[in-house]
Amino acid sequence: MYRIRLHGRGGQGIKTASRILGTALFRSGFEVQDAPRYGAERRGAPIFAYVRADDKVICERGLIHQPNLVVVADETLFDLPAANVLEGLDGRAVLLINSERSAQDWCRQLQLPGQVTVLDGAAVVREAGRVPAGALCVGAAARLLGVVSRRALLQAVAEELAGHDAAAIQTSQQAVSQAYELFAGEAGLVQRLQSGAKKSVTTPPKWVELDCEALPRAAPTITMAATSALVKTGLWRTRRPRIDRALCSRCGLCRTLCPEGGIDLDGEGYPVIDYRYCKGCLLCAAQCPRRAIAVADERTVSPPQPKEGEP
Amino acid sequence: MSESGPSSHSHLAPGTPLCAGCGGLQALQQLYRVLGDKTVVVNAAGCMTLLSIYPFTPFAGSWLYTAMACAAAGAQGVRDALDIQLAKGRISSAEDLATVVLTGDGSAYGMGLSATSAALDRGLDFLYLCYDNEGYGNTGHQYSSATPRAAHTATSRVSGYAGSKKDLFAIWAAHRPSYVATAIAAEPQDLARKVKKAAALRGPRLLLVLAPCPTGWGFDPALTVKVGQLAVETGIWPLKEYVDGRAVHTKIPRQRTPLAEYLRLQGRFAHLFSPQPDEQRLAELQQAVEDYWQQVTE
Repeated sequence: MYRIRLHGRGGQGIKTASRILGTALFRSGFEVQDAPRYGAERRGAPIFAYVRADDKVICERGLIHQPNLVVVADETLFDLPAANVLEGLDGRAVLLINSERSAQDWCRQLQLPGQVTVLDGAAVVREAGRVPAGALCVGAAARLLGVVSRRALLQAVAEELAGHDAAAIQTSQQAVSQAYELFAGEAGLVQRLQSGAKKSVTTPPKWVELDCEALPRAAPTITMAATSALVKTGLWRTRRPRIDRALCSRCGLCRTLCPEGGIDLDGEGYPVIDYRYCKGCLLCAAQCPRRAIAVADERTVSPPQPKEGEP
Repeated sequence: MSESGPSSHSHLAPGTPLCAGCGGLQALQQLYRVLGDKTVVVNAAGCMTLLSIYPFTPFAGSWLYTAMACAAAGAQGVRDALDIQLAKGRISSAEDLATVVLTGDGSAYGMGLSATSAALDRGLDFLYLCYDNEGYGNTGHQYSSATPRAAHTATSRVSGYAGSKKDLFAIWAAHRPSYVATAIAAEPQDLARKVKKAAALRGPRLLLVLAPCPTGWGFDPALTVKVGQLAVETGIWPLKEYVDGRAVHTKIPRQRTPLAEYLRLQGRFAHLFSPQPDEQRLAELQQAVEDYWQQVTE
C-alpha cells in the first residue's frame, strides 16, 4: 500500500493536489482513498491531506501516521510544531520538499533516516507560469511513486480542475508535467509497503482513565478577557510591512485600518507594528498616504524575538 | 502594544484565526473601539464564530454563540435577562450591557431573517452588526442571498450567480426600526459616526457592513481597502442610513467610477473579462447601478 501525506498551507491547493493524485492513482488501476484535513480552515494556516492507494480494497481509515511518502509544499511548515511534518518518517519513507535549498542541505538540517528529495517549485513556476505549489508537488510525487503514467496524471489534472477555464488547466498541466519530468531519475523511489505487513499502522492512543470531576473543574469557565493575544498569528506572515519613521506623518490611518488591531501608537504618536500578530496582509503599506511603509520578504529579516514573560 | 501587550478593554485583542486582510474583522475592530467591553456579543455561526475558540477569545467583554438562525432570539434572551437583573436591583444601570448581534450575510439575509424580523416586531433593544461578505465565506464561499449578480462562487461556478443581491436595508427599514445604516471599514469616519449614532439610540438597530473578502472574492489581501473604496466610488455599495422613518444617503458618488474597475480586481468576476470582456453583461451590471442612483433624489 501507498500511504501519502501532504502538508501545505491553506491557499496552496493541497486539497486539490490530493484529489489529483488520488484520481491519477485510480486511473492507474488502484483502489484509492483521499481526504483533506483543514484545521483552522484559513488561508495561510497549515493544512493536511492524505492519500492511500492499494491494489485491493483498503480497510484502513483515518489519519496517516506512518507514511511512505510525505510531501511538503511549504518549507516554513518545519518551524511549526502543530504541522507535525516529520511524524512517522522512518528509514523507508521518502520526504519531498518544495524548496530552493538542496536535498543535502535539508538532510543535514533534519538528520532523518529516510530519503530526502527536493522540488524547486519556484524554478518550475518561472518557466511554466503561476501554478499552486500543491499541483507542482503532485507532478513530482506521482513520478516518485513510479506507477502513474504521465497520461493518467494529466487526465486527473483536467478532471479535478473541471470548471476552471481552459488556459488555467493547460498551465497546470504544463507545470505538473514539468515537475513529473524533473523526477524521471527518481521514478519509483517510494517503496510500496505490503499492506498487512504491519498488523496495525496506527498507534492506539494511550488512554488515561479520568474520574468524573466537578463541573467547574471539568468544564472551566474562562473569565479572562482577550486571551487570543496568546496566539501569535505573526507566524502566518511571509512578507512584512516596515514603517519608515522619516517618512511617516503620524496620521494613524494604518492603525485605524489594520484588521488585526496589530498597530499601536508610541508615545510620540508614531505607529508601531506588533510583529507577533501581523499576518502580513500589507493593506497598511497599500494605503499609507505618504508611502512610508515598505515591504520586505520575511526570509530576509530576522525573526521577531518575543520578550520573556509576554503573553 | 508592543511594549506591554494588549490590555485596553476597548480593543479587540489580536491573535484571531481570521484571514489576513479580512474586511469584516476590520469593521468589527472599528466598531469595538466605539462600543468596547460593555457589550454582550451574540454571534451566529459564520466566519466570526472562529474568533472565540476555547480557550481563546479576542473579546474583552462577553460573547455568546448561537446557531445560524437564532442570533436575534439569543439577543432577546440576553436583553431580557439583563432587564430582569436591572429590575430586581441586582445590577445597577451603570453595569448594564449593550446587546450586540454579530452575524454574516448568510444568517442576516437568509437563515436568521425570520428570527430577526420577529425581534424587530417586538421592538427588541439591540444593535445588529452584519459583516456582509456576499457568500458563505466560512465554508468555501458558496452563494448566499447577499451574493451579487454574476459573481462566481463555489455553487455558481460556470457563469456566476444568476440571482440578485437582496436589499436587506429595505427589508429592515420596512419594519420601521430605530436605525438602519450601511457602512464599510474602508470609510472609517463614516462607519465610526454611524456606530456612535446607533449606540446612542434604543430599539432595533442594524449596521450593514460590506466586508471585502480576499479569500472568497479572489483578490490580494493588500487590496481590501482599495476594493472597499471602489465599492463606494462606483456606487454599487451605497452608504446610507434610515432614521426617523427616512432614508438618507451619507455619501453620494456624483462622479461615479465605472463599475468594471471594481469588478476587475476580483477573481469572482474574472469570467466577465476573460478570455474577452463580456460587454453585454458588464453593461447590464453597470445599468443596475445607474438605475439605483436614478431614483435617489437628494
